[in-house]
Amino acid sequence: MTAMLEVRDLAMEFAVGGGLFDRLRIDRGGVRLANPVVHAVNGVSFSIERGQVMALVGESGCGKSTVAKAIARIHRPTAGEIRIDGQDIASLGQRALLPVRARMQMIFQDPYASLDPRQRVRDIVAEPLLEQRGSRRGVAEEVAALLARVGLNAEHGGRYPHQFSGGQRQRIGIARALSVRPGLIVADEPVSALDVSIQAQILNLMMDLRDEFGLAYLFISHDLSVVHHIADHVGVMYLGFLVETAPRDALFATPRHPYTRALLSAAPSIRDRSGTPEIELVGEVPSALDLPSGCCFHTRCPFAWDRCAAERPVLRDVDGGQAVACHLLDEPERDRP
Amino acid sequence: MSTPLLSVRGLRTRFDTFAGTVRAVDGVSFDIGAGEVMGLVGESGGGKSVVGFSILGLIDPPGQIDGGQILLDGEDLARAPERRLQQVRGREIAMVFQDPMTSLNPLHTVGRQMDEVLRLHTDLGSAARREACVAMLDSVGISRASERLGAYPHQFSGGMRQRVVIAIALLAGPRLLIADEPTTALDVTIQAQILRLMRRQIEQRGAAMILITHDLAVVSEMADHVTVLYCGRVVERGATAELVRAPAHPYTRGLIDSIPDPTDRRTRLRQIPGTVPDIRNLPAGCNFRGRCPRAQDRCAREEPELVAQRGTLFAACHYPLAPGETP
Repeated sequence: MTAMLEVRDLAMEFAVGGGLFDRLRIDRGGVRLANPVVHAVNGVSFSIERGQVMALVGESGCGKSTVAKAIARIHRPTAGEIRIDGQDIASLGQRALLPVRARMQMIFQDPYASLDPRQRVRDIVAEPLLEQRGSRRGVAEEVAALLARVGLNAEHGGRYPHQFSGGQRQRIGIARALSVRPGLIVADEPVSALDVSIQAQILNLMMDLRDEFGLAYLFISHDLSVVHHIADHVGVMYLGFLVETAPRDALFATPRHPYTRALLSAAPSIRDRSGTPEIELVGEVPSALDLPSGCCFHTRCPFAWDRCAAERPVLRDVDGGQAVACHLLDEPERDRP
Repeated sequence: MSTPLLSVRGLRTRFDTFAGTVRAVDGVSFDIGAGEVMGLVGESGGGKSVVGFSILGLIDPPGQIDGGQILLDGEDLARAPERRLQQVRGREIAMVFQDPMTSLNPLHTVGRQMDEVLRLHTDLGSAARREACVAMLDSVGISRASERLGAYPHQFSGGMRQRVVIAIALLAGPRLLIADEPTTALDVTIQAQILRLMRRQIEQRGAAMILITHDLAVVSEMADHVTVLYCGRVVERGATAELVRAPAHPYTRGLIDSIPDPTDRRTRLRQIPGTVPDIRNLPAGCNFRGRCPRAQDRCAREEPELVAQRGTLFAACHYPLAPGETP
């Protein structure tokens, strides 16, 4: 069976632009115009099976949201394939994307900015359905059923977004995404703007809907405890590269990449108050305008040696479905502080 | 505990708006001793930031402090004149705000913003002030400190800016630091760096800290004791380890259970049903009863007082939880 989503060598670059004088460079050869490019995503590959949850984690600027937006085709990727049910949508035009949107929908981070303040809730939820069908027949009943399914009642349909709390707005966003019965939902930080008690309600709702409709989720998050709860498979991103992917339990039990290990040990935990972190990171993420040579992480990695600055490691399978992009795999004896 | 450094007694702060009176802080009391870190936790609208602003006398109309005492070494700041508060702010109590992007002035260099604190609160000459600024930037982990004094805030990353904000807060040697969500805008590896830095600075200087946050995980790693707010009232307080392990109030239990637990393989999270009530129209009795699985008739009639429970815990609940009991 083909995977619900298969991403291969996805790359996304953004030209920075700027005025003539910002880009002017004067060097030995004379005057020239620079064209700086942000390398937001650099060759990311993964796949998601039906009914599975894949989480992408990483810190701000690591490219996880850009991956989500490229897959939802809000951005047109610079290179690579995005296969939904086997069909490559990476370079489709807007008209050809319309039927694809019946199979893939998105839930956004900010429940305040992602709903049109001038539309009533029932119109917000109905919009994808009307786009897909071009007919109003049966839509009102379906919208009522969707609102009920996400825990809102029928009278809420006549109200406007500002009359709802953040958690309720996220329920509206979920109902809208669900309306066309997609097989895949791309959820970009869907609970990070919510209070923790509301977060739990929304996560429970998302997992119930997965079981009920056989949904696959691409779940973007920076919160490791949420990812641990919801994901079947986890990908760790750093500076636009996928540095490690693994089944959930393997990743949290035996993280292999030094960045994954640092990320896990930096996360504060309410249950585990034990001692000092395994790896403490110093310094900050380098600029995506000017990627480091070799391994993207070598500037902060406590184990890095000369090979790491010279040669870019590729993602390689290790046991248990885990894949890691790190030269330590070849020289494990260097893995000590 | 001997005389606490800061003792807040029955603090009330209200905002009179056209839509009604908001009692954002409604009778909050707590103590902090020198060298201690207190976590002040709760969800949005719980009143935790207003507590911080009230202590610093930063409540502007239509808000006002409506009652209670804020005793810093016995001196009541709630009744102090504005001129006295100006001396206290920055010198004895300093604040670190959530957003490092907006809490620095973009038009002034970092050095000038640091220097201002010392000019206002010390009699040091300009060379000595500069030296103090360099030493402080250095101690919060900013390299090439003397060069960076001439840099503007936009030349720093978010984590570096928060270091600058912390450096400014600590410059005049305050005895109390109020940190309002100091790491919420930062990434997790940067958050770990900043929290370690704040903890170390507090310990070295024998100062105290109020850590205002919605993140119980951060509190459990940082704080000596915790005060939990709900709708402007203290619902529970106690030593961190005890409160996190076995809280007595169902709201605290609910907050802790809402955080996914990696060791618990259940598929559904235990959630607190419903949402925070409208603070302008709070129900009679216990504010939490609409969301509480243990609520009885009594909870609708009688407002619970904050009373001693087991160990160090105080909770405002008619039907508190026994250790290990779920709501």
